[in-house]
Amino acid sequence: MSGTAGPAIELRELRKTYRKKGEVVTAVDGLDLVVARGEVFGLLGPNGAGKTTTVEICEGLTEPDSGLARVLGREWRRGVDDEIRARIGVCLQETKFHEKATVRETLALFAAFFDRGRRVDEVLDLVSLREKASARQASLSGGQRQRLAVATALLGAPELLFLDEPTTGLDPQSRRQLWEVVRSVRAGDGTVLLTTHYMDEAQQLCDRVAIVDQGRVIALDTPRALIRSLGGEHCVEIDVDDFAGRVGRDDLRRLPGVVGVELSSTRAVLVLPHVESSLPGAVEALLRARGLVDHRFAVRPASLEDVFLHHTGRQLAEQEKP
Amino acid sequence: MRMRVVRAVARTTFREFWRSPEAVFWTYGFPILMAVVLGFSFRPGPLPKVPVAVVDGPQAAAMVAALGHDDRLQVERLDAAAADRALARGRVAVLVRAEQPAVLRADPTRPDAELARLLVERTLRDAAQGPPPPLAVEAETRPGARYIDFLIPGLIGLNLLGAGMWGVGFQLVQMRTHHLLRRLAVTPMRRSEFVAGYLAGRLALVLPEALAITLFGTLLWDVPFRGGFLPWTCLVLVGSFAFAGLGCLLAARVRTIEAVAGLMNAAQLPMWVLGGTFFANERLEGVMHWAAEVMPLTHLNRALRDVMLEPGTLLDVAWPLAALAAFAAACFGLALRFFRWQ
Ligand SMILES: Nc1ncnc2c1ncn2[C@@H]1O[C@H](COP(=O)(O)OP(=O)(O)OP(=O)(O)O)[C@@H](O)[C@H]1O
Ligand SMILES: [Mg+2]
Repeated sequence: MSGTAGPAIELRELRKTYRKKGEVVTAVDGLDLVVARGEVFGLLGPNGAGKTTTVEICEGLTEPDSGLARVLGREWRRGVDDEIRARIGVCLQETKFHEKATVRETLALFAAFFDRGRRVDEVLDLVSLREKASARQASLSGGQRQRLAVATALLGAPELLFLDEPTTGLDPQSRRQLWEVVRSVRAGDGTVLLTTHYMDEAQQLCDRVAIVDQGRVIALDTPRALIRSLGGEHCVEIDVDDFAGRVGRDDLRRLPGVVGVELSSTRAVLVLPHVESSLPGAVEALLRARGLVDHRFAVRPASLEDVFLHHTGRQLAEQEKP
Repeated sequence: MRMRVVRAVARTTFREFWRSPEAVFWTYGFPILMAVVLGFSFRPGPLPKVPVAVVDGPQAAAMVAALGHDDRLQVERLDAAAADRALARGRVAVLVRAEQPAVLRADPTRPDAELARLLVERTLRDAAQGPPPPLAVEAETRPGARYIDFLIPGLIGLNLLGAGMWGVGFQLVQMRTHHLLRRLAVTPMRRSEFVAGYLAGRLALVLPEALAITLFGTLLWDVPFRGGFLPWTCLVLVGSFAFAGLGCLLAARVRTIEAVAGLMNAAQLPMWVLGGTFFANERLEGVMHWAAEVMPLTHLNRALRDVMLEPGTLLDVAWPLAALAAFAAACFGLALRFFRWQ
């Protein structure tokens, strides 16, 4: 087998635009990325950031307009396609399998495509679907379908596993089950590229995370290092009805211990290495002096969400009011 | 091509079809039901009377009386407008105006018009020479010459058309809209393996089905099977491939179920009407003639009749077989060339 040395994925200056009715959408805009072998790598970003497009270029489903995409040391082209496909496992963002087929039958179909790989029963156990083995696709719950989709990706015992939002819409228990699957793949020297909207998922599961926005990587590191780059590991959230311009960034910056500030019309997030005991009082005094009587004050650990906010000024999850 | 993969795709495809009772009914039950209904409605019996309209006028009464001499004519007296309407709607085969000389009008594309004309002509001639001689009428009831004999091979053709187009094209588009095709495209499954397995799974039932229709015809109505079983089998298989190819081609790029349904209807409807299933399409003229002659269904139906109603051999149907095979190859070639996996 060729191409066993070097990174699992190498993307250089990747570009992809879509044209629809004269409108040009740049999905991937000069993206660089190197995923090492044996790591769980997360692409974190808001809707439309270009995560799926990037992943599908890696999977050979989408052709980039320009740039280099090397997967397991190979570039997609006729002749090597099937060799790469035999070595990767893919879970697309959404797939509906044959509706009348049972879980076991669907897995048997996909198992047939691979000359070597895992047995159906083994994969059923991996994703905890054994008791649903004879249930038809149509009768599965959303989470079970998602696990089935991941199961089809595991059948070829892939060196490189692509999971596009594998846990979206799952309950916490199903999510944790899938995390276990991902960890077991890594334990077997596999590489995983996954996309997610969930900070906690990226934080807990991924060795490294690339934060993607508007088709570019805006930050890339281990989750810990990304958070540490904020300057502090604690955040204070101050919610009001409307700041209405009465409190500025600099006012907040002068509060004790604050190293970073993100400000929107209803919320201020302060980043601090330590939360000083004098802080709540100082905040209260500042707000009152500016005529803001009512506010909510909360302390929480800094997360990748804050990293995203710091780099883009926007929130990752679309809960921000205009 | 790995047979294991072909088998796995075939099994899944077949199962998906077999487990949809509606699809099974429309593809396989419905044609049989139609054969039964049509067969019973066209059972041999006394020759139906030929409807004739006499247009109201001064001499209409005399004309009605003259035509009344032949009891194979069913004479009706109508005013000019009503007579025109009856002719246009096909309720009468000809209309007669009692003038000097008498005028006979008919729609020449209607198969019963010619018979009606002959009958009316002769009846009038005979009536003029005195009392008409009694005429004996004999209905054709021998197997092989009845409408049901004509119909059964045509229904086989029509059924293969439906199975090929709907069966193949519809599920393909559904798999595309469900992102299943692109999921399959990122596995090491080869395209040739997919096509072979898919067709095997979809077409597994065409031979049993064609056999079932044939058996129905033979057991219920004595429809003959005078040619060879081998050329018949070849026709059924190659015909299925031709229609499956057309189905694949129509579904090659379409993104929605609605679009493929429309395309298939557009392709199928002309073949239903002109493909020679329900009536002979040999005497069509002009555009209709050419349309009928380029339809694969026309040639399949004629060849099936050659091996069922006549002692046709493989050699006798070699041309239609070759033409259908070429058509299938062209369709699959184009379909694979333009196929959209996502
Ligand atoms: N086939 C397509 N045709 C046109 N535009 C497309 C197509 N696929 C993606 N896009 C556009 O490209 C951009 C990036 O889409 P992409 O699916 O890669 O985002 P994403 O990060 O995966 O988003 P999400 O989190 O919602 O899955 C979006 O603006 C999207 O509308
Ligand atoms: Mg996506």
